[in-house]
Amino acid sequence: MSRAFDAIVIGGGHNGLVAAAGLARAGRAVCVLERRDEIGGMAAEGAFSDGTPKPRMAHLLYNLSPAVLADLDHDRKALFETRALPTVCLDPEGGHVVVAEGRPHFADGAPHPEAGPYHALVSRLARFGAILARLAEAPPPQLAQGMTDLQGLRRLGTLGALGWDFRRIGRDEAREFLRIVLSNAHDVILDEIADGPLAGALAADAVRGAWAGPRSPGTVFSLMYRYARGGGAALPMGGMGAFCAGLAARARVLGAEIRTGAEAAAVLVEGDRVRGVRLADGSEIAAGCVLVAAGPMTAMRLAGPAQFDIEAVRRLRALRAKGTVAKVNLRLRDLPEMPGLTAGQMAGRLVLAPSVARVERAFDPVKYGEMSEDPVIEAVIPSLTDPSAAPKGGHVLSAIVQYVPHAPRGGWTQAGRDRLLATTLAALDRVAPGLSDRVAEAEVLTPADIEALTGAPGGHWHHAEMSLDQLLAVRPVNGLARYRFGPAGYYLCGAGAHPGGDVMGSAGRNAAAVALADGVAA
Amino acid sequence: MTEHGRYDAIVAGAGHNGLTTACYLQKAGLKTLVVERNDWIGGAAVSRSLMPGWTYSNCSYVCSLLRREIVRDLDLPRFGLQVIPYEGGASFTRDGANFGYHADPAQLRRELRRHSPRDADAYRRYRQTVLRQCRFIRPFLLRPAADPTSMKPRDLGELAFLLKRIHGLGPRELGETLRFWTISIGDFLDEHFETDLIKAHLAGSGIIGTGLGVYSPGTAYVLLHHYMGDVDGAIGAWGFARGGMGAISNALAAAFEEAGGTIRTGAGVEQFLVRDGAVAGVALGDGAEFCAPIVASNMDVRRTILKHTPREALPDDYWRAVERFRIRGSSAKLNIALDALPRFPAAPEGARFLRGDLHCSESLLELERAYDDWKRGRWSKEPYFDMLIPSQIDPTMAPPGRHMMTVFVQYAPYDLEAGGTRSGTNWTAERRQAMAETVLDKIEVACPDIRRHILHMEVRSPKELEDEVGLTGGNIFQGELTFDQLLFNRPVPGYARHDTPVKGLYIVGSSTHPGGGVMAAPGANAAREILTRAGRGRAMPDLAA
Repeated sequence: MSRAFDAIVIGGGHNGLVAAAGLARAGRAVCVLERRDEIGGMAAEGAFSDGTPKPRMAHLLYNLSPAVLADLDHDRKALFETRALPTVCLDPEGGHVVVAEGRPHFADGAPHPEAGPYHALVSRLARFGAILARLAEAPPPQLAQGMTDLQGLRRLGTLGALGWDFRRIGRDEAREFLRIVLSNAHDVILDEIADGPLAGALAADAVRGAWAGPRSPGTVFSLMYRYARGGGAALPMGGMGAFCAGLAARARVLGAEIRTGAEAAAVLVEGDRVRGVRLADGSEIAAGCVLVAAGPMTAMRLAGPAQFDIEAVRRLRALRAKGTVAKVNLRLRDLPEMPGLTAGQMAGRLVLAPSVARVERAFDPVKYGEMSEDPVIEAVIPSLTDPSAAPKGGHVLSAIVQYVPHAPRGGWTQAGRDRLLATTLAALDRVAPGLSDRVAEAEVLTPADIEALTGAPGGHWHHAEMSLDQLLAVRPVNGLARYRFGPAGYYLCGAGAHPGGDVMGSAGRNAAAVALADGVAA
Repeated sequence: MTEHGRYDAIVAGAGHNGLTTACYLQKAGLKTLVVERNDWIGGAAVSRSLMPGWTYSNCSYVCSLLRREIVRDLDLPRFGLQVIPYEGGASFTRDGANFGYHADPAQLRRELRRHSPRDADAYRRYRQTVLRQCRFIRPFLLRPAADPTSMKPRDLGELAFLLKRIHGLGPRELGETLRFWTISIGDFLDEHFETDLIKAHLAGSGIIGTGLGVYSPGTAYVLLHHYMGDVDGAIGAWGFARGGMGAISNALAAAFEEAGGTIRTGAGVEQFLVRDGAVAGVALGDGAEFCAPIVASNMDVRRTILKHTPREALPDDYWRAVERFRIRGSSAKLNIALDALPRFPAAPEGARFLRGDLHCSESLLELERAYDDWKRGRWSKEPYFDMLIPSQIDPTMAPPGRHMMTVFVQYAPYDLEAGGTRSGTNWTAERRQAMAETVLDKIEVACPDIRRHILHMEVRSPKELEDEVGLTGGNIFQGELTFDQLLFNRPVPGYARHDTPVKGLYIVGSSTHPGGGVMAAPGANAAREILTRAGRGRAMPDLAA
């Protein structure tokens, strides 16, 4: 039995939902197929054994695209509520620094001696990030498009062809942008402020989710992307579940159909055109347009390597996606004291990255398939802000732990997971003494688990490394970088496409726009 | 009575770039003086006889990047420069395996197939890609860097040239080029090859002289930088300068003196003299002073500006930008006099590749660990080295039957960690020797009896390189080769044409475009810039290919 839609979206993660909403809003008949029983992908919500909700993987929003929200009519429909959280740069010696709206001060209220240079730095990163963000809201630049005439020269003179309007930011700023855009976070940060918790937290933001340390060239690029909207973090009220439910609800209101428990087994292609999807249960759905929110290799396999030229297949096979992030979710009976922090500060985004040097040292072991003994952690206790986060009492602590290998020597064993949990708890105990005694239940998700749960290649946060050779015009690979993915009507709309991951929604939005421009019809 | 003199131009530092600039200025009719702190000339392109009968190229040691346009134009062979190509190389492992990088393509293919038939096929693709990138980039070496923020006619001209070349690539090739310029050499090699030893052999050129690891983005570019030279028109080939690298500097000096130039050794610049925002001359360490409206410094940008230029002559933001310019030492050198050729048990009898570059690194991860050691302020426990015995081809380097071995080592930090502090002064004689022992242990993997043959060994940490040659931090490129410091960013954005805020003061060494290696390109580019600004642009031959 075959049903017909204009478009099918494979993968009900947030990019898939945003893509579906975009197509539905333009009047197309869309069906979202999600393999699991719940939507959300890496932004999905789970539950502890007693029903207490837990943010499975992503736990904060720091890069949600305003354009995506505008398309979803978020302002008028109030799909979900968020609370801005301050960032707390934890110091094992007790000198914690709190950053709110780009301005740091010590947790005890004392002014921070480098508040000025820090603020100037993040403001600059935000300004430069805004330039890059314009790139995020549009398909990546077309390369070498008729640039030899005077017109083209003028355009390059202002780099207008790439969407970078240097005239507006002035020549000195333009020069500074071109100097640091390909540089590394370690140098750019330490040029402005001394090494310590404040610098370390900034460096951690540059490398979160990446197979890179602060000294790796290209990490300033990531930092600019993350700081384009100022660098703050927001907690969705009602949890990531409310966030995803909001997206899904909006998509449904616009007319999209969302099916869970529906696994796509193959994308049907005929005469170099997509014609539908065959599900794992054997049924088929006809559609002239298919968007895949899963990883690029999955997208290739669904259609079959025969549909792609050999160079593209080779490039996709070489695509690097080595996840370095593990997730530790804790249900706590109650909360320990965190010496030096007020209750309000404890509710913030807690970053344990005592210095740039330590973040770099934490990265090194993962290159050899080993775990950091001194991990970089971003933690949040949503229940301190959102009572619905712990309806049975107690608290939830969600921790993103870096760096953890996706394929350690000998694979992930229970002993390895136990060590990961122990190392994480030991690190947290140093800033919250007695925390590990209050753990009622713990969940550990290694990068391998994340891959199994979400299909993210290598468990990688961004589906593919956000390194300069896998970005923009060559993301995921040269030749397949503008959402069109091989056969006509086939598109990549997940984090493996430009502009990458974080809970942004831009990939889904842009892919839908390209599909519509190409003419989506049943 | 202090020595005085008036010249049309003064060059501070008789390194190969300074000498190149001096040659072009003198030949264009500017009465030029070269001042040099040491008693010998050449900077890091020198031949030193530290053991009677032996000649060491004790800093730079092989020649490839020297621009043939400059060699031809200055007629350097007439002044004794002769480069002998060397062929091939090899890597050795602890369990007696080896990979011979034969110069003969058929032999190389057989050798690759012996390790992995897949790698033999991949090598063709790999080599094509690298050569393609070399061909793309070479014309830019002898042109000023295109500045995308400038609307001046000369800059737009450079942009137009860049665009034409980019347009010629087509979108697919352009994408590949962008990828190549940003990827790490480790990832690039992993994409092509499966054999660890082959990858390790090829990766070295991506990290020589850098403070980067094989998996650091941008190291494929560094490899390109090392491949884009040629010897006798063979791109990517390397050779020995007969008589050592000093032959290059000596030839340049001879050409300069024949054209009427003067070289004064024994005293270096204390201060660049500035009057009313313009350079007026130099004050030397022995008290002598010389005047000239044009002064070109071969020292790196930090040394030139931060140590020898009056602070009040420089705007704050320029000063800060120079302070940010990164010069991090990461290399050491062993120069060894041998009483005989050591045995290489793993190599076939009489293997020609022994005349080439020899290595004992076994995998990319081993190289990456070597980099991690450097980050922590230690010399690498398993160092990478580029080891050659040039006396096999160049008989002038050692007495008959004896040999000279040059070993270039990555990594060794300038600011060595000891007792909780990091500083160049931590390089004591004992620690230098300890580092040398680490290197010798690794050399024994290829030649187990090496220690028995050593007659004399000079060990140089980055500190010695700095003290003797004047290379800040002992960095051989006068500044890291990363994109925040390359092209229009080198050395400082807005001052990427060898100029400085002080009128008439120029920087002509490797701190400027196109960067380091014994290229002479920065020196020639600087001469063109100086002559153009002095209204004598036509006196400079058009070197751009």
